[in-house]
Amino acid sequence: MRRFMVFMLLVMLAGLLSGGQAFAADEQVVLPDAPAVDVNNAGQVELPAVELNSSEQNEPSTVVEESGEEVEPLTGAIAGEDDFTDEEDFTNGDIETLEVFDPIEPFNRGMFWFNDKLYFYLFKPIARGYRVVPEPARESVSNFFSNLGTPVRFANALLQLKMEDAGTELGRLVINSTLGIGGLFDPAKAWFDLEKKEEDFGQTLGNYGVGSGFYIVWPLLGPSNSRDTVGMVGDFFLDPLHYVEIKPVERIGLTTLDKETDLSLDKDTYESIQQEALDPYLFVRNAYEQYRDGKIKK
Amino acid sequence: MKVRNYLLFILMVAVFGWAKPVMAVPGPTDQLRVTLDKIVEVLRNKDLSQDAILDKVEVLVRSKFDFDAMSQRTLGINWKNATPKQRTRFIELFSQLLEDTYRLRIRNYTYQDERVEYIGEEVRGTRGQVDTLVIANKEIPVSYRVRLKGNEWLVYDVIVEEVSLISNYRSTYNEIIRQEGFDGLLKRLEEKVKELESAQNTSTVSVEGRRV
Repeated sequence: MRRFMVFMLLVMLAGLLSGGQAFAADEQVVLPDAPAVDVNNAGQVELPAVELNSSEQNEPSTVVEESGEEVEPLTGAIAGEDDFTDEEDFTNGDIETLEVFDPIEPFNRGMFWFNDKLYFYLFKPIARGYRVVPEPARESVSNFFSNLGTPVRFANALLQLKMEDAGTELGRLVINSTLGIGGLFDPAKAWFDLEKKEEDFGQTLGNYGVGSGFYIVWPLLGPSNSRDTVGMVGDFFLDPLHYVEIKPVERIGLTTLDKETDLSLDKDTYESIQQEALDPYLFVRNAYEQYRDGKIKK
Repeated sequence: MKVRNYLLFILMVAVFGWAKPVMAVPGPTDQLRVTLDKIVEVLRNKDLSQDAILDKVEVLVRSKFDFDAMSQRTLGINWKNATPKQRTRFIELFSQLLEDTYRLRIRNYTYQDERVEYIGEEVRGTRGQVDTLVIANKEIPVSYRVRLKGNEWLVYDVIVEEVSLISNYRSTYNEIIRQEGFDGLLKRLEEKVKELESAQNTSTVSVEGRRV
């Protein structure tokens, strides 16, 4: 098992290195073989103040600002039909297109299909049965596991030099472990206004400029990318459960309980996506990368 | 010369300073709050039938959401390459899809004391963003990107937990256009709309069976 983990880590590091190179190339805009994306980024660096989203200029190569292209107003069917503001071009501007690097799409789609079946035929029915347990009780189970996740959030806040957030997490741990009866309740938030700070090693890497690498859908674990997979492995060793004398089966059992609890509290988000999206795979892929980018920027 | 510039400056400040309150339209937050409050009020109203709720919400949403701008932004570069006919068709289908989507959501939704907190606003010329928190059993950050059209701030993008809705649609649709062409996208949209509409008609049966 340990050997397998080390192997996966190496594979992911290799993936990161290739991702990292792409990122490095992006920084040096003058590289001759740099992709067309760089032209936009170069423009941005010179005029940071003009962009609404100027903070995005230090993002990895995955974001293509479309604002660099064709700024002239639209003269098509829409313009002139309504009042003057409609001549405003809404096809570009402060919206960014996230290009997700997905070289192993066929594999990922296979895994997505596999996870989809697992979800509908195994995990969701369990979660539905679990909803027999009153919501406050499940809420407490969720709080308990969340409290166990403090070391991960604390360490990663520290690594990103977010001292205030690290302090918040430490305070939450102390308050919730004592007043919150071993983490079953969250008085730190309710009474002390200390909000949980979601941090993980993937975000830490992203914070220091590591690109997302390539997109990968893991069986059971779901959407990820090479950066966040390395992050997951790192966080695995910060999980207190790793240092408690329990059998691997028991740990898997606890992790399952954790995930099933969250699933039972969720309002069928995935069902909605499945029903509404033209291509749920693309929807999830884009949402995952946007979500992670947002978290890293925070 | 200096004094004259100074006076001119004062004059301008005075003119614009006074003029502004006169022509000022309510800020995006104020405008959005009115509509969102009304929507929450409708959803909360237990006396209304579900169809009545849906109709009322539809009117409110249509008054505040700019489906044309949403369509343009979703397509991005592909909007420019599309023929006027394709554009019109796309707006039609895409608006329908968005509408069916939230109709389905509302059908499967039970009001649970959710409330909206307004936490920030940013305005730049005719564009702006309103940041809110939807507070239910957990807090979900929801931001609205708005544009000023006439006197109305209209929503053209919704960002939930850092995920821009339009940006998400855009990535999917661009991909489909790349592989199947614009008409391929239109065809898939047509199918989806049909699917969602039939799901709506039988919603209480099939959807309830799958959910709960």
